[in-house]
Amino acid sequence: MSQTLAEKFYYLMKLGREFEIRCKEEYLKGNISGFLHLAIGEEAVHVGAVVGFGKGDLFCPYREHVLALARGIDPKLIMAELFGKATGVSKGKGGSMHLYEPKMDFYGGNAIVAAHLPHAVGAAYARKLMGEKAGVLCIFGDGATNNGTFFEAINMASLWEVPVLFLCENNYYAIGTHISRSSALKELYLKARDYMPAEVVDGMDVFAVYEAVVRAKQYIEEYGKPYFIEAYTYRFEGHSMADKGDYRSPREIEMFRKRDPINLLVERSLREGWLTEEQIRLIDQKVEAVVEEAVEFALSSPEPSEEELYTDLYCGVCSDVIP
Amino acid sequence: MDYEILMPQFSDTMERGKIARWLKKEGDYVEKGEVIAEIEAEKAVMELQSFKRGTLKKILAFEGQEVEVGKPIAIIELGEKVEKTEEPKKEEKPKVEEIKPPPLKETKQKIELPPGFASPYARLLASEKGIDLEELQKEGRLPSPTHARDIEEFEKERYFTPKAWELLKEYDVSLQELLREYPQKKIDEDLLLAYVEKRGIPKRVPISSVQKSLISNLSKSFLVPHYHIYEVFDLSLIPWDREITLTHWLIKVVGDAMHFFERLRAVYKEDHYLVYPDSNVGVAIAVGDELYNPVVKAVNKKSLKEIAQEVRSLRKKAEEGRLELEDMKGATLTISNLGMFGIRAFDAVIPYGQVCIMAVGMQENDGKAHVSFTFDHRVVNGFHSALFVKHLKEKLLDRNYIKMLKKGA
Amino acid sequence: MLYRDALNLALDHAMEHDSRVVVLGEDVGFYGGNYKVTDGLYVKYGPKRVIDTPIAENSIVGTAIGMALMGLRPVAEIMTVNFAMLVMDQFVNQMAKLRYMSGGKLMLPLVVRMPQGVAKQLASQHSQSLEHFFASVPGLYVFSASDSISAYHGLLHAIRMDDPVVFLEHTLLYSMDFPFEYVRDFDPFRARLLREGQHITVVSYLKMVHDVLKACEWLEERDGISCEVIDLVSLRPIDFETIYQSVKKTHRLVVVYEAPKTLGLGAEVSARVCEELFYFLDAPPLRIAGEEVPIPYNRKLELMAIPTPEKIYSQILSWSKSHGL
Repeated sequence: MSQTLAEKFYYLMKLGREFEIRCKEEYLKGNISGFLHLAIGEEAVHVGAVVGFGKGDLFCPYREHVLALARGIDPKLIMAELFGKATGVSKGKGGSMHLYEPKMDFYGGNAIVAAHLPHAVGAAYARKLMGEKAGVLCIFGDGATNNGTFFEAINMASLWEVPVLFLCENNYYAIGTHISRSSALKELYLKARDYMPAEVVDGMDVFAVYEAVVRAKQYIEEYGKPYFIEAYTYRFEGHSMADKGDYRSPREIEMFRKRDPINLLVERSLREGWLTEEQIRLIDQKVEAVVEEAVEFALSSPEPSEEELYTDLYCGVCSDVIP
Repeated sequence: MDYEILMPQFSDTMERGKIARWLKKEGDYVEKGEVIAEIEAEKAVMELQSFKRGTLKKILAFEGQEVEVGKPIAIIELGEKVEKTEEPKKEEKPKVEEIKPPPLKETKQKIELPPGFASPYARLLASEKGIDLEELQKEGRLPSPTHARDIEEFEKERYFTPKAWELLKEYDVSLQELLREYPQKKIDEDLLLAYVEKRGIPKRVPISSVQKSLISNLSKSFLVPHYHIYEVFDLSLIPWDREITLTHWLIKVVGDAMHFFERLRAVYKEDHYLVYPDSNVGVAIAVGDELYNPVVKAVNKKSLKEIAQEVRSLRKKAEEGRLELEDMKGATLTISNLGMFGIRAFDAVIPYGQVCIMAVGMQENDGKAHVSFTFDHRVVNGFHSALFVKHLKEKLLDRNYIKMLKKGA
Repeated sequence: MLYRDALNLALDHAMEHDSRVVVLGEDVGFYGGNYKVTDGLYVKYGPKRVIDTPIAENSIVGTAIGMALMGLRPVAEIMTVNFAMLVMDQFVNQMAKLRYMSGGKLMLPLVVRMPQGVAKQLASQHSQSLEHFFASVPGLYVFSASDSISAYHGLLHAIRMDDPVVFLEHTLLYSMDFPFEYVRDFDPFRARLLREGQHITVVSYLKMVHDVLKACEWLEERDGISCEVIDLVSLRPIDFETIYQSVKKTHRLVVVYEAPKTLGLGAEVSARVCEELFYFLDAPPLRIAGEEVPIPYNRKLELMAIPTPEKIYSQILSWSKSHGL
């Protein structure tokens, strides 16, 4: 069991890492533009949570490439989206922050901090009302917990008893402002603890994240109530490509880099015998090929046609049943 | 001292409130803070407390009455408990306030500009008609800025005599074609009439506002689910003459009959019927080209002579254009008689809001006449109508009844 | 039928026939709604479909979006448009954009109802007209209802549609009684011609429609000026075609609205008419609108701040006189 999981985790985390490193390269080449938020360093949270949660709706913040990959969205379509191509997962109209695939219950990135929290609550309400069991996973950063919408959402989720797992990835920084300069409570799970069960997990350890999320999922499904997890993690890059991240001391970055989640996973897997060097080498090769293929697909894809400017604004159909 | 209790405003959107219940009656002593009435507004019932101490002298609004916010609903005589109250003053009806248009202020600050200015549309018109705007403005024959109306006036003066211009409005004439026909000519009345005749141009006949509403009601009436009943009535017993005509007789007989049939006195209102206590019979009157439908109220209580007089006075009013809304309201059945024109039988459309129209044809030599009824099925079903028609038929052959009516007249 | 009852009827009808329709908002359930629009629905459909929310406007619409994404058809009520200022993120960044940003993958069958406008002495923070805020956002539909017919049919149509609709009501209309009839094929995207006329086209919407009709009656009776009155119904998109048709006939345009004049809907309507029909205009378009001030509490000042039938009448009259009518 741990063996297959370790393999899965390593593939997804490595894919995420390599995919994003390639994004960075393509950004510098001018193939990708706009805001590009990399999750390098935070792969354990993204992969552990999505895999652990399994079936259910996913509401994400704007740092979402790895979440989308972990959910199983084709890397080609994501890369094409980042390139703004017609073949992109959002037809080139969304970009890095707005990947959506409702067929895979992936309700995408949201570029407004905390705005998607009530969406998750409403979605969970709807699922519960319609008698469906799977809950909703809502991921957001530490900055969101200082926003009024966060408190509105956890209050409503608790009041209405809806199955949402709130997962806060605490990377200590809201762009350039350290948590100590923005939050009165340094331990963010305390903000939710009076509304719902809340716990803290090491976000650099993919197994820890995975296990916590599996437990939480069981709880929300069984009781139909919300749950809160705070995962400590760190982003090795700046907030976006426009941010060098130099407000953090080299010592601090070095300290966290020592706990690189992928290295931690590799060390443990080798130690426990879940993975061999050979297996890792094969996965690395596969990842490289997948990323290469994605870039080639994106490069060779067409630009959206001019008519696309006006499409997808309104549905224009009525699928109602009211006589 | 008297203190007026006003209809309170319980919410910002409340405009009127309904007295749901009085908890005190006139002469009762009322303590400060005591609940004196329940007011229904905006779907909620709220308690009305007294802010004063005294005797409830007069209740001005009855239970169920709707009163505008701020209007008095009761009077309290302030002071400690007193034994007797004065005779209440005459009741004053709260006036309904209509918003009135503001007084006319003469603010004719017409814009005046040097020659060369015109509204875009005036320019368009001028170029279409080949008018040199600036030249005419310099000559003072057009104002600056020029508007469409100025061009129209100019055209009028240039091409038409005043009478011809007035006449022009009555016909569906294309101005451009007309001017093409007579270029460089001042058109007078005769010329215009000749043109109209030659071209066979139709004349516009205005529809009066009364007729407009009748027409729109007719269209609505036609959508009412209706059906007909046809009968031949023996009217040989009816001793009608020039003074009291057959129509007058029929109004009376039908009115009396309606008294026994509640549904014939009813009108349809979505979720209930409104049943009038008396038989109000409408009568179709043609004046000139127009049709009126005034009503004779409480026919069951009136004699033939009174009915005849009333119908005559209604006709006079219609001829003089003095019919008021009150004269046209409240009928549930209308009688239309075309017998005097030798029409044998016809169907009629129920006047909107009524439940039946009775169409009376010519009385034949044997004294019989074809009568058709049109009923609103939502109110009068076939069973009701059959009984009603049967009853009428019998009454018209009831010698004693006819004799009695004659005597009463 | 009362305006509020017409709205209630539409909600009731929709909820009865489509179990996906839910209603949410402050006080809408147990209490029956602050303007009693949702009265009786709680008893009939239960607390799960008639949802009382905390005073958290942003999340009322936010959760409604989540519900809509999952296939429910929520009708959210924001108590007044003034409170909708707390919801602008959800309106502008979320509701209006999600479908487009997802390349058409997401669908938001969602209605947000709210009343606006000056009622009576509710002071600045409860009296605003903000339709232009919403009508300026691509991705939203904005409907307005001026009477019971457009309230019932407009709301029902909005609920039926698969797109997000901001449905604007007017606080003063709730307790007004209007004639009602069921209209076949009511199309909220078509402006309604409420009065035919020859000389001036007057465009309006919501409560101002009634003030305009009053003023136009006086203009006809006292001054022989006949006005054509258009009720816009849909404020985004605006049915310009109906306006153009009328202006081609009258060559004159007046727009009446309650919001402050600057950058209001009247600016858009008159600009479009100027763009499309410049050479057909016989006078510069006139906007009759609110003053450039917050709405004051005092009744006299309050009435000075917005158009009234009297003001509409005299402004149209003096404008006509100074422009050659």
